[in-house]
Amino acid sequence: MARRNFTPGRLAAYIVLIVWCILAIFPIFWMASTSFKPVTEGFGGLGSLLPQNPTLNNYVAVSRLLPLARNILNSVTVATVGTILTVFLCSLAGMAFAKYEFPGKNALFFLLLATMMVPPEAGVVPVFAIMRALGWINNLLSLIIPTAATAIGIFYMRQYISGFPNEVMEQARLDGCGEFRIYWQIVVPVVAPALAAWASIAFIARWNDFFWPLIFMRSKEMFTLMVAISTLPVSEGLSTPWPVIMAGTTISVLPLFVIYFLLQGYQKEGLALGAVRG
Amino acid sequence: MPSSGLLQRIWRARTIYLFISPFFILFAIFQFFPLVWSFYMSFHEWNGLGPMEPIGLQNYRFLLRDEVFHTALGNTVIYWLANGLLILPLALLLANFLAMPHLAGRRLMRSVMFLPYVTATVAVGLIFNMIFDFNSGLVNSLLNAVGLPSVPWLTSVEISKLPVIFLNVWRLTPWYTLILLSGLQGMNPELHEAATVDGAGPVQRFFSITIPVLMPILFFCFITLTIDSFRIFTEPYILTQGGPGNSSLSIVQYLYLNGFRIFKLGLASAIGYALTFILLIVSAAQIVLLLRQSGLTEVN
Repeated sequence: MARRNFTPGRLAAYIVLIVWCILAIFPIFWMASTSFKPVTEGFGGLGSLLPQNPTLNNYVAVSRLLPLARNILNSVTVATVGTILTVFLCSLAGMAFAKYEFPGKNALFFLLLATMMVPPEAGVVPVFAIMRALGWINNLLSLIIPTAATAIGIFYMRQYISGFPNEVMEQARLDGCGEFRIYWQIVVPVVAPALAAWASIAFIARWNDFFWPLIFMRSKEMFTLMVAISTLPVSEGLSTPWPVIMAGTTISVLPLFVIYFLLQGYQKEGLALGAVRG
Repeated sequence: MPSSGLLQRIWRARTIYLFISPFFILFAIFQFFPLVWSFYMSFHEWNGLGPMEPIGLQNYRFLLRDEVFHTALGNTVIYWLANGLLILPLALLLANFLAMPHLAGRRLMRSVMFLPYVTATVAVGLIFNMIFDFNSGLVNSLLNAVGLPSVPWLTSVEISKLPVIFLNVWRLTPWYTLILLSGLQGMNPELHEAATVDGAGPVQRFFSITIPVLMPILFFCFITLTIDSFRIFTEPYILTQGGPGNSSLSIVQYLYLNGFRIFKLGLASAIGYALTFILLIVSAAQIVLLLRQSGLTEVN
């Protein structure tokens, strides 16, 4: 096939894609750049694209304003434990719906889908009361447990595991494997890419979550990174300088960027898309 | 006896029920029970400490004539429409371009494009807050540089919703681009080849082949975008605090204010129900779609 290189259509496509890429990366670049500018340096115009006298002072300032190590630890704990738990429970339930027949299966699956339609925010007041009764206010469990098994995660895993060959499972059963061993030793290794893809989506959601930690975490020490960062603009009197705030936001997004690029290989196009394609 | 047969089948599948039980237990405790409770609460006045006072339909009647609620509802609908009208066409366009054969730098562009979705909403909110600042923001200094006057992006009642919309478009477009891209790549290339042989140009092929084939996915995207739009909270909370004068306040933000700032828990519950009701109408369509896609109807 001849490579039709530069038709006007292709040129337009390249221009649109490149412009969008620039728009996508520019605010992030601007944030990182500003975070290294001394607070006295002008940061408004394009003229100050890069800091003239780069400094780490803003990072020092942020770590004085916030119990940063503690906030990071909270976010890491919630995101890591929450992700592991949800990937485990969702894939287990996903396998059950994909590969087994049991009374009430269709009704239960229908119920599962129906739960996706209810906005969780609607019941936030009673949920808060429940957390208070459990003693989970200001406790990371309130952020980890409610989303430990999610409908969308189970739905996604079910779609993916449906393609797993029945014969392999049947053979294992004849060899005397229990159902959990079949899951753990036979299904999990094969669907590992789907688990990794779902894990990265789940991790992003937990790391970036704001609404629930804002409500459940009531002290500076228990804030997740996102809640802590959101308090920066008004943390000391009224106006924290923008470079200091940007140092905070840079710290808050950096871990995800690193993980994102490390997990590139797993991401493929897929992710939640298996769920869409069915 | 059929019932003992049923019991037997249930007993035999006990491990499987155990596998699916965590979700249903968590759902019961953290979603279903709260929903029932907040229904009850919505007919009461309660500040969270004293006794609940039954007041019948008053919370709902109040919402019907509450101007702040109407503003929040109107704003949320505008966010929803803007998201739908901007994000989906844009994502469709970008996905189409990304799916072009022999595209140089496809992997890199896809990675770069996806970065906004990885960036936390709180962080983006603060970045946009800085960029759209009236005095020192980058956007206004760019406008000034080409001889245009500064625009009060975040402090004007008329346009405070714009930065919120920009933020949504910037952060959510990549997600939908990726979903549509996977749909495009799953398409049968012969469809396009046949149409090309028949003399259809790229634009004609786009409208008569690509769009119809992608329709189920587009529909799915529209429904998820709708649900996310109605649940919008963090963006206005960080960017404009809902202001100036409630001009960018969203429904969930209003719910949060009533529930956790001024402790009108009954009213907050009623707002939650209004939100649920609106979404339920939209979601009825989603149930139908998901059922069709999951093949559940074939099992029956």
